[in-house]
Amino acid sequence: MTRLSFTVGFAALLAITTAKAAEPPESIKQAGTLRLTVNSTYAPMEYRDPTTNQLVGLDIDLANEIAKRLGVKIIWSETPFAELIPSLQTKRADFIISGISDRSARRETADFIDYLATGPQFFVLTENEAKSAIDLCGKKVGTTRSTSFPIEIEKWSKQNCEANGKRAVQYAPGENSIDVRNQLKQGRIDAAVQGSETLPYAQGQEAGKYRIVSEPFSTGYQAIMFRKDDAALREVVTEHLAAMITDGSYKAILDKYGLGANAVAHPMMNAAPQ
Amino acid sequence: MRAARALAGGFPDISEMTVARQAHWRRWLAAAAILVVLAAIGRAFVNGQIEWTYVSRFLTAKVILEGITNTMAMAVLAMALGIVLGVVAAIMRLSPNPVLKSVAAGYTWLFRGTPLILQLLLWFNLALVFPTIGIPGLWSARAVDVMTPFLSALLGLGINQGAYTSEVMRAGMLSVDVGQYEAAQAIGMGRLRALRRIILPQAMRVVIPPLGNEFIGMVKATSLASVIQYPEVLHNAENIYYANSRVIELLIVAGSWYLLVVSILTPLQMLLERRFARGTLQITR
Repeated sequence: MTRLSFTVGFAALLAITTAKAAEPPESIKQAGTLRLTVNSTYAPMEYRDPTTNQLVGLDIDLANEIAKRLGVKIIWSETPFAELIPSLQTKRADFIISGISDRSARRETADFIDYLATGPQFFVLTENEAKSAIDLCGKKVGTTRSTSFPIEIEKWSKQNCEANGKRAVQYAPGENSIDVRNQLKQGRIDAAVQGSETLPYAQGQEAGKYRIVSEPFSTGYQAIMFRKDDAALREVVTEHLAAMITDGSYKAILDKYGLGANAVAHPMMNAAPQ
Repeated sequence: MRAARALAGGFPDISEMTVARQAHWRRWLAAAAILVVLAAIGRAFVNGQIEWTYVSRFLTAKVILEGITNTMAMAVLAMALGIVLGVVAAIMRLSPNPVLKSVAAGYTWLFRGTPLILQLLLWFNLALVFPTIGIPGLWSARAVDVMTPFLSALLGLGINQGAYTSEVMRAGMLSVDVGQYEAAQAIGMGRLRALRRIILPQAMRVVIPPLGNEFIGMVKATSLASVIQYPEVLHNAENIYYANSRVIELLIVAGSWYLLVVSILTPLQMLLERRFARGTLQITR
């Protein structure tokens, strides 16, 4: 019992010290607001609820919880996916939480706090013949052109198709996830790639329409993106995120979107394997 | 200065006076202020966070050159389609036949009344409505094989342009004196022949400036086709900055090409105007 009470006591102490330490930087505290920019075309991570037009999604919930703990309000703005990094650089946004993957190429301009396991995953129309990813060699595969997926598809194709003497995957660009799925439905492309965290939602929207092909073909993390010179904010947010993982509020948000399996054990910095 | 001699009636004779140059100091001040502001803007861009090496490296990159070629090809073809549709619609609009008249009016109403980007998305996604298209019994194909990004962009831009051009053409035809129609009729020409031989050549002179204007607009409107994956210059510039995050640099690259093209087109339009004004130039001079 002593041991348990000690643990509880220590945890409480830890909670108090973290709560005390995790104060937002002065500028944000004074403004009382966080300015966050998202690309709201990526359900269920961030999207506009079709009936209420409110910004909703896993990232939105996480950000709201973080803001609550920081004692500030969020001012949301929206931008195309490709403008997320510029938004951070131009300080339009304090940090970016918008379904963005931790990629080494992007670490030149930002630091990443990884918070969700993910990976690009092939999917096809249900009636398609492809049984596993290898059947997609030589086929037309579409994905959002502003993401890291085109490069990852090319890499996968080199390793799995061309290395085995099969024809390379033909990459076809799309404007966003919805456009890519439209191209798939029209037969413009044979298969599509999206982050694994978005596929259960897409399948739920159009029941029976899509079939996932194989596991995600590379593993990575979705991450919160901070400016390199903004260590103060990064550390505070990381602490709160760690606390949310410990107290279960993080898990509750993930479960709400059916993504409990994509949880991470603790926040990590620039940790995604490339 | 000499004192002016007085003329009759007490008016001074000013015929021999020299005209003093006015000191236009306000003009000088305004010009100086504007130059200072321009210099400051220029300096800001030079010192701003722009990696100019990326601009010069990508200005003549293969994929950018292909992009501007595609941009120009699309602009020319879509404009050609637009002019053909515009002439036909304008002739229909001015026809005495009520069916032709209202169909032409409906065409203008529909395609001028909806945004161009919406029309492009509709053409590109046409296969969601019609999975196969064709002529019954003769030929059919999957809609997506027909509606390539190229054809979707051509139809979207060209048909939309036709709606605007029909109004330009109609204005040109209305600008030709009604006596010309009557004279053509009097010597036994039918309506279409009169249009072809008498009216349209004269209308051309009036429609060239607005058409040139529309064409310059078209060059830039092709950039909207980037959303349906037509590889024009903005689309290709975007693809580069999606990979290397040099957004402003690549936008400067694409912008420079648009400016260059428009700068070349402007004197070309002058030449064209001069050619179609052959009959009238001497009179107006």
